[in-house]
Amino acid sequence: MFRKIAALSLAGALTLSLAACGGNSGNESGSDSDKPELKMLMQYGRFEPNDDYAAKAISRLTGYPVKYDMLPAEEADQKLNLLVANKEPYDLMKLSAPQFYSLASSGALEPLDDLLGKVGPNIKKSIQDASWESAKMDGHIYGIPETGSGIAVSEELAVRQDWLDELNLQMPTNPDELYTVLKTIKEKKNVIPLTASKDAVSSLLGDIAAAFGVTTDWVDQNGTLVHQVETPQMKEYLAYMNKLYTEGLLDAELPLNTSSKMMEKFANGQAAMFKIAWYNAPSAINSLAKNDPNAKVSLVPFLKGEGGKATVFAASGTTWYAVVPKYSKHKEDAVKLLDAKLSPDIFKELAIGQEGVHHEVKDGKYYPILPKFNDDLNNASSYMTGVDETNYPTYWQARVRKDPTLQSYFEQMQANAEGLIVTDPIALAPPIPQVAENKLNLLQLQLDEMLNFITGTEPLSAYDSFVAKWKEQGGAEMTEGTNEWYKNSKS
Amino acid sequence: MNSLTTQTPVPPRRKRRSKGIRRSWPEKLFDVCNYALFALIGLSTLLPFVNLLAKSLSSEEAVFAGRVGLLPIDLQFGTYRYVLEDEAFMGALRVSVLLTVLGTACSLLVTTLTAYPLSKPRLVGRKWLLLLFIFTMLFGGGLIPTYLLMHNLHLVNTLSVLFLPSMVNVFNMLVIKNYFEGLPDSLEESAKLDGAGHIRILLFIYLPLSLPVLATIALFFAVAFWNDYFNAMIYISNPSLKPLQLFLKELLVSSSDFLRNATMNPDQALNTAPQSIQAASIILATVPILVVYPFLQKYFVKGVLVGSVKE
Amino acid sequence: MTDGNPNAAIAPRPNRRSVWNKIRADRELYLLLLPGLAALLLFKYTPMYGILIAFKDYNIFDGMGGSPWVGMDNFRKLFESEDFLLVLRNTIEISLLKLVFLFPLPIIAAILLNELRLMAFRRTVQTVIYLPHFLSWIIISGLFIDLLSINGGLVNKLLGQFGIEPIPFFLSNDYFRGVLVTTAGWKETGWSTIVYLAAFSTIDPGLYEAARMDGAGRWKQIRHITLPGISPIIVLMLILRLGSLFTADTEQILAMYNSTVYKSSDIIGTYVYRMGLGKQEYSFTTAVGLFESVIGFILIVSGNYLSRKYLRRGIW
Repeated sequence: MFRKIAALSLAGALTLSLAACGGNSGNESGSDSDKPELKMLMQYGRFEPNDDYAAKAISRLTGYPVKYDMLPAEEADQKLNLLVANKEPYDLMKLSAPQFYSLASSGALEPLDDLLGKVGPNIKKSIQDASWESAKMDGHIYGIPETGSGIAVSEELAVRQDWLDELNLQMPTNPDELYTVLKTIKEKKNVIPLTASKDAVSSLLGDIAAAFGVTTDWVDQNGTLVHQVETPQMKEYLAYMNKLYTEGLLDAELPLNTSSKMMEKFANGQAAMFKIAWYNAPSAINSLAKNDPNAKVSLVPFLKGEGGKATVFAASGTTWYAVVPKYSKHKEDAVKLLDAKLSPDIFKELAIGQEGVHHEVKDGKYYPILPKFNDDLNNASSYMTGVDETNYPTYWQARVRKDPTLQSYFEQMQANAEGLIVTDPIALAPPIPQVAENKLNLLQLQLDEMLNFITGTEPLSAYDSFVAKWKEQGGAEMTEGTNEWYKNSKS
Repeated sequence: MNSLTTQTPVPPRRKRRSKGIRRSWPEKLFDVCNYALFALIGLSTLLPFVNLLAKSLSSEEAVFAGRVGLLPIDLQFGTYRYVLEDEAFMGALRVSVLLTVLGTACSLLVTTLTAYPLSKPRLVGRKWLLLLFIFTMLFGGGLIPTYLLMHNLHLVNTLSVLFLPSMVNVFNMLVIKNYFEGLPDSLEESAKLDGAGHIRILLFIYLPLSLPVLATIALFFAVAFWNDYFNAMIYISNPSLKPLQLFLKELLVSSSDFLRNATMNPDQALNTAPQSIQAASIILATVPILVVYPFLQKYFVKGVLVGSVKE
Repeated sequence: MTDGNPNAAIAPRPNRRSVWNKIRADRELYLLLLPGLAALLLFKYTPMYGILIAFKDYNIFDGMGGSPWVGMDNFRKLFESEDFLLVLRNTIEISLLKLVFLFPLPIIAAILLNELRLMAFRRTVQTVIYLPHFLSWIIISGLFIDLLSINGGLVNKLLGQFGIEPIPFFLSNDYFRGVLVTTAGWKETGWSTIVYLAAFSTIDPGLYEAARMDGAGRWKQIRHITLPGISPIIVLMLILRLGSLFTADTEQILAMYNSTVYKSSDIIGTYVYRMGLGKQEYSFTTAVGLFESVIGFILIVSGNYLSRKYLRRGIW
């Protein structure tokens, strides 16, 4: 008897624990107004999306209750595909360009042309024709493009001015002068003359590369686009960097440096030069000042190339897309919400809050009121689904005026870059399938090989075999797809 | 209970030399080296945590410049206040504690129940059953079919999806089975003579004798549930159901990734977590699970089996 | 100690009736097995059809039915890729290095820990040496990059005292594998001792006492009592470890390597990761995983066979 009871009770306990383990979380309660609750999937951000001021402001101003989920910081594409393939109920999603391409081409997104005509007057007004091109596939609009805060330069070489003064060195203006300066610093100060990070291809490019003529991904040569790896300029640039590296003028640990490691070396006085980004300026500069009160930092004006002219690459184009999945049950409401968010007054409030509470206007410029601005609007841009392209760059600069160091570095960089900016010829292209497919792994290959050539792990004589490998792994295909679009766009 | 109680283990005797025996000098030398060795190893594993602790208590300027070693510079406690007041952190902590407790309890139960029959060599089909289990250590259907299954079972976005599927851990099951096999057959035989069934034998004879291995496996489960972020990353989208390790992972990953892609998203770069906050979060996310070990430790330093049965 | 070896394997094949009787006699055992078996079948075997993805050109939006069969194409792609031989060799070599150097470490550590007589010290050390298990590879990588830096890293400073030139550990194909093995040992040895420490409790202290009476020294006690006492768990761990011989801890290498040491440390996992960046190559990754699994399974089965044959014990 005992055995049976024990067996039964064990089985019972197990079922119970299974049931307890399997208990589902409750369903959300439906809203009682005529505006249904919408569910939006956003990109990862470091905050709780349903508690944020911006989330509440959106519901208050548009009347739509919205519930937010976030993609993870890692494996976001993988997760997105699982969610969409299993039709998890979202009405709106904010996607990166590759995600947008992947979902639009697989037919998971709703074409928005009709709905925009019907309920999207503000959206149509806010976004310029050139930007719309980036959201079209086969002639249909599949998302609202978000171009961001306007074209701006974000990085420039910075140097320890106090050391230049001490050694009687002039600010370098071209690669040759830079070489001399670095060499002197190395001999006299025994520090790392120039440090850099290995995080991305873009962290290996910048001021010096631009002086050799390497700026944009694609270069127009007689009407045909050629990728930067196929240009002779890239090879010259790598030869120069290899010289710096072998002579100990460039950080020997370049292949190991993360960007925070790079900034650390500058901030504790181990390195004399690095490429600073304006958004990192406050932490880097304040930390250096605390470590060495006599330290002085200057931006190095953009280096001039052989023709005596400097150029600066600035990122531009569509960063995000707001889309409606085909299976959404509230497509029209979703577009109505997007439209309401872009009506001029609401957009302004969502971007920089209320005047007198979050921001104030001085000489026609917007200044944040701290700490209220930070408390409420720090994450506001994560909630954006398209921007008022005429006004947002002006509004957005309020963010830069949160901190004097931030503001001064931002403004000085833009002043230095004035008239020198080049942008990528395919920045506003719609997603090109061959690019979307191959871009990331080719960037990794390019980064690896550039590091190998700079460090001398591989001799530059092997450069052609790298280009051949690059072409074979998708580079040729990507070039073909890009040119196909380029020719059509010009005709 | 009567006949069974007589077989509970007597308290083990401590291994200790009688005072009369003197140690030879090679033995003394060995002892000295052994203590020194472990002191060194212990230091090497402890120091990184001291460094993290110091970072979490230092000013961000000092951490940023990599100046913090083993002692904090510009001592401050603001980072801990910040992390502990962060609703997202505390929410994730609650999820993790609940997940670890529920998960460990369910898994330990089911895994032990599975190990017991499989430890009996006479069980018909044992070899094939074991192979059936071991096969899954190497082969799996992959993420997509598994996600589909969870979706169909309505487990997506629930806490249970984080521990139900890992209820049977084959590795842990094999360790328990291995331990059970080491227990003398005579235990079972004599209990059977007393008319006890398998459930009673398992509960009242095997389990008390298996405390060391059960404590070990409980620890393995607890740590695995505590450290798991991947399942949550895939199956949980609702931010309020995120466990701590996912929160931590994203905190650390996002700061490096945002810096990498910052040219396109300067706003996000501006919002990355300062390194002192990252350090404080790592400390706060690790301490709760570290506390578990000393509690379980006492179960596996003694010889439990001693004298329980004379073969 | 009883040997786990059943006599059933040698006994003549029983007839069906008696098999049925045996099952009936042990029905309670099968009942206990039920929940675990059910969970296994539901959560592990129901999705097992996903293995077929390796033989398809799978697109998640078309599903299993909609994606075309491609036979062995995905495997061919792996075997024919330019760097396959290199990454295969690296995988096996790194894995073997780790097996040879790191498998015995926790056993040695556990035995030595057991020799510590000061309980407070011993418990503290036990708690402390398992700490690194809780650090992620990203953090450990940063830690060792600092420690081994040629730019004021502690190790190179020490070497400098002996007049040795700074060694770029992370940038040298000669040293990087050493870094991989050492850091893996540092991270996991303490944690891995736990399972052996638990196994010590099965050893009867009376055996040690008797040995001491016979005048056996410590080394003899370890050889003749401790090691045989924990041999079952050692064998189990070794056989299971064989199953992962073809995966050399991708997560660790991804966090630590860089392009200058690809030649010595690019393994199957990292290679596939880089090639698949930005692509959702479900079929290819499934094929690679399947390849690794098949080898792992063969190794486990052979390991078990050999262990049965020569040590007269095994997992099954």
